[in-house]
Amino acid sequence: MSVMTIDQIVNEANLPRLPDSAMRLIAVINDPNSGMNDIIETIRFDQTITAELLRRANAADIGAGRSITTLDDAVRVLGTGRVMRIAMAAQTPTELMKAQEGYGLSPGELWRHSVGVALMAQLLGRKLGVGNQGVLFTAGLLHDVGKTLLNTHMRKEYAHIVKLVADRKTTFLEAEQEALGFSHPEVGARLCEKWGLPDVIVRAIRYHHEPDALTEPDETVDLTHVANVICRVMGVGGGDEGLLVRANADVVSRYGLKESLFESLGAEMVMELKSIQKVFTGTGEAPDAR
Amino acid sequence: MADKVVDIADLAVTDDHDSTLVTYSLGSCIGVAIWDPVARVGGLLHYMLPEGAISPEKAKSNPAMFCDTGVPQLFRAAYKLGADKKRLIVKVAGGSQLLDNNGAFNIGKRNYLALRKIFWKNGVMIDGEHVGGSISRTVRLNVADGKFLIKTREGEATL
Repeated sequence: MSVMTIDQIVNEANLPRLPDSAMRLIAVINDPNSGMNDIIETIRFDQTITAELLRRANAADIGAGRSITTLDDAVRVLGTGRVMRIAMAAQTPTELMKAQEGYGLSPGELWRHSVGVALMAQLLGRKLGVGNQGVLFTAGLLHDVGKTLLNTHMRKEYAHIVKLVADRKTTFLEAEQEALGFSHPEVGARLCEKWGLPDVIVRAIRYHHEPDALTEPDETVDLTHVANVICRVMGVGGGDEGLLVRANADVVSRYGLKESLFESLGAEMVMELKSIQKVFTGTGEAPDAR
Repeated sequence: MADKVVDIADLAVTDDHDSTLVTYSLGSCIGVAIWDPVARVGGLLHYMLPEGAISPEKAKSNPAMFCDTGVPQLFRAAYKLGADKKRLIVKVAGGSQLLDNNGAFNIGKRNYLALRKIFWKNGVMIDGEHVGGSISRTVRLNVADGKFLIKTREGEATL
């Protein structure tokens, strides 16, 4: 059993808070009254994102034979959905890029999984006509952020956890809970509370493995849960937690989800993930291939 | 030794004896490795879904995503490098299932059945396999000797 308390872990976390520009972007995306102009204003002063959007827009616009020089034109060419994904993915905490050995995650794998879940949650939301696209993306992107705080502790307990999982056919989360006394969803939720993120996102992080722990169903929680499961099934960056999760039957039936839907959306998610990886690494391979 | 990474929904073939083909994190997806000991040609496919019929346009633009379009493409690419069907040694890994899938996620099983079907139709035998369970696998094919290495949380195996 770990001797650290969850409060100590969250309070003493040596994790830089999200960049201010990311915080502003999350706030804008979460505000139902904000539009594309507000998003442009938020990223206008970020040179990395601006440069990336211009590069992408010019690449996309080769056929038209013109050169795009302003952020506004770039946004028009790329469309709001793509702009938001590029901007958010660029704002990802750098910790998500690092290896998390305690979870069997190689460098870049947690980032890949996080972006995959973010894309999948959005695709599900769009298909089912529920939730807010920006909120779903952010919730997906941050759902496993707690793993970055628990990594060191998990490394110490690694052998114990692998044995628990093998002997008892338990989920990775249950093994984590037993070995440490708490688990990554709760730690991630506390961290995001500390960062002052909106409740809807904190809730999705806290309950992404246990949507039925809520008395009232929550769409963002439900879709983050399903998106996480689908990414794991598709082998998108699951690490050692891999397929050792439970799919909640109530959520599956609540939305009448069929395997054929998972397949077609899963295929779309993987294609989009590959194109986003290309933006960040230039290769289309996972960031660790750099 | 050069490691060539095969991404999800992708494939690679090579006649470079010094190279290793590797694919990470096979969940319900399946990795198919083929190797010709005479031509010393190796190939590795990482497909994610059983049938391209779910999205004909993706099956066309990205055949390695599906079993029924990816497997023929893998074999054809190996033939181009001088591999012979009669000599090919075929090894398979992946096809895991969720620990608790509530009947909604059987993709791993269906991925494996689709492979058995296409192999049976084409008279291809599987020489070694490491499939099923709820485990994530990373696999490597050594083109020099055809060794197929499987790495999981629980350890390593060679087929």
